[in-house]
Amino acid sequence: MQYLMQLLISGLAIGAIYGLIAMGFSVIYKSTGLVNFAQGEMTMITAYIAWTISTTVGGNLFLVSIGAIIAAILLGLVIERVVMRPMLGEPVFATVMVTIGLAVILRSSINFIWDAYPHGLDVGFGRDIVRIGTIGVRTGQIAVITTLLLMLVAIWAFFRYSKFGVAMRAVAADDRTALLMGISAPRVHAAAWAASSVIAGIAGVFFAISYDLSPAMFQLGLKAFPATILGGLDAVLGSGIGGLLIGITENLAGGYLGSGMKEVAGFLMIIVVLMIRPFGIFGERDIERV
Amino acid sequence: MKAYLTTASLLLAGALFGSGALAAEQGITDTEIVIGDVEPLTGPPALLGVAASIGHKIAIAEANNAGGINGRKIKYVLEDDGYVTARTIQGVKKVIDVDKAFALLGISGSGQSIAVMPVLEKAGIPTVIDVAPVKFLWEPPRKNVFVVGQSYEEGIIHLVNYLADKNPGKKWGLITQDDDYGITVRDGFDTVVKAKKLNVVYSGNYKKGQQDFSSDMLQLKGSGADVFLAGGIIAENIAMMKELEKLNVKPVTGIFWPGRVEPVLKLMGPAGDGIYAVDYVEPFASAAGKAFLEKAKPLVSENEFKGINRYTMTGYAAAKLLIAAIERCGKQPTWTCTIAELEKTKNVETGVMAPISFGPGVRFSNQKLQIMQTDTATLSFKPVN
Repeated sequence: MQYLMQLLISGLAIGAIYGLIAMGFSVIYKSTGLVNFAQGEMTMITAYIAWTISTTVGGNLFLVSIGAIIAAILLGLVIERVVMRPMLGEPVFATVMVTIGLAVILRSSINFIWDAYPHGLDVGFGRDIVRIGTIGVRTGQIAVITTLLLMLVAIWAFFRYSKFGVAMRAVAADDRTALLMGISAPRVHAAAWAASSVIAGIAGVFFAISYDLSPAMFQLGLKAFPATILGGLDAVLGSGIGGLLIGITENLAGGYLGSGMKEVAGFLMIIVVLMIRPFGIFGERDIERV
Repeated sequence: MKAYLTTASLLLAGALFGSGALAAEQGITDTEIVIGDVEPLTGPPALLGVAASIGHKIAIAEANNAGGINGRKIKYVLEDDGYVTARTIQGVKKVIDVDKAFALLGISGSGQSIAVMPVLEKAGIPTVIDVAPVKFLWEPPRKNVFVVGQSYEEGIIHLVNYLADKNPGKKWGLITQDDDYGITVRDGFDTVVKAKKLNVVYSGNYKKGQQDFSSDMLQLKGSGADVFLAGGIIAENIAMMKELEKLNVKPVTGIFWPGRVEPVLKLMGPAGDGIYAVDYVEPFASAAGKAFLEKAKPLVSENEFKGINRYTMTGYAAAKLLIAAIERCGKQPTWTCTIAELEKTKNVETGVMAPISFGPGVRFSNQKLQIMQTDTATLSFKPVN
């Protein structure tokens, strides 16, 4: 039982990070109809910026948080304005290729701006180990699980009750009709990129606090992508839950079936789910009148 | 007719030899000698590539400050391959054909060096490889390619032998990466397991790029392993040790030299105390290591100095050998002479590893190994044998 609990808690912790990044994928898809293959790299860049801030301000948690959020917003806005907006109206394939190119550029920028060494993000918390009986968990892991849960509630409320959230849903549903109703699609797109960048950035910062920061961190995006497919590409909340499911599945497979199965299990899971529900567990079935 | 054929053959051989000699002298002007290098300068393996190139730069700066090679300054041409084999081949061709390098150093990772071997052999350019020594690079020996270092298999065998002798009758655990590096680690480990009949209770492997090792380390704990060979490269070993700390277990742990870099210790924190490592270059905490850092400081930029790690030492040693060989060829160095001089390398002291030797048909320096142990108080590796 103790073994199972340890696997579940660790799975939830890494799954919460996948979930946050997956939500970032989903926010952009829901608002722009685009899959951003640079999501993992955006996660990594924000974490590196947070690390730079932390080394400058001596690990002050408040300043690091504020600085990282502002940096993530700017990163999202700049990418949307400079890279994505010129692609409006272009074929989806070309736009997706642009995000892949962007991913490579962001990945390479780590060594140009920072270095190839792993680094620890020290903000005075997150590294301590809390023992519940004999089960050990880091405070950063508890924090990221809590953050994901809070984020799920906040995003649900945002899309359900806020005017801008409803506008985003309207643009996602039919951008031309939304435009006719006076909603600015470019503004919505910019907000989506900024929000996605912040959510993914939060995941990156938590990952760096609980684990470490390294140029290999972009691979978190590759792990989060199945989570968003599993939850539903157009389901922001579903993506978050998808992350938790992938994290737990991976850990249980690794713990009970052997370490080699760890990375495979999540992908096996989505293959099975997608064969039954191609639009994901929480995604909306796309019905077209023929 | 016979005399005619003999004369024609001699003329042909002369022409071939002549053109070869002309080609061999590329990359040399009255004032400069070009030395080329292709390394991963971007992506995670840049930790190795950048550090190795800094080692090359230190040796080159040292030589240039002393007047260069017989009056010619060394020009260092460095290409980034991003650890992508196709780009390594492209980069090597570029430094040979476009930059007209006289000789080469470094050459990326193990897979990349193996892939580029036909290009190097065909070109015949003197090359000293120092980043990733794997057997294929010197077995069979290639005329113009020399390798400084020690094989991964030997390194692992040395480490596991040491830990086995120090911990008789204990249970063993091992985790490796699912690639050629992991296979090499596992092969070395299995050699000792077979020879010493070690009791292996956990054997796992992880996918390249894995960052969360919670279930793997939980399995290791469950197996009751007392001695653990952490077959990660850099970040993976940190993650494993921190996971073990969380699980409140501390087996005797050994790591391999790619991850034997000081920043790793800082990240491991107390979890990394007492870990054993094997290497053929001196730790920076040793007198030789300190002397090397002192020497390096004025020769590189502040940023480059921060990027120094064990690969800087391997790079430095290789560059020293190559420069010395070219120098011994005098005013008109050729490829043939440089290769012959490299072959004559006998017990050359570089200050960063045991003396280096090659020989006729010997293209691998087969460096002496030593075991070291971490000390978190000083964030350093200290020799223990």
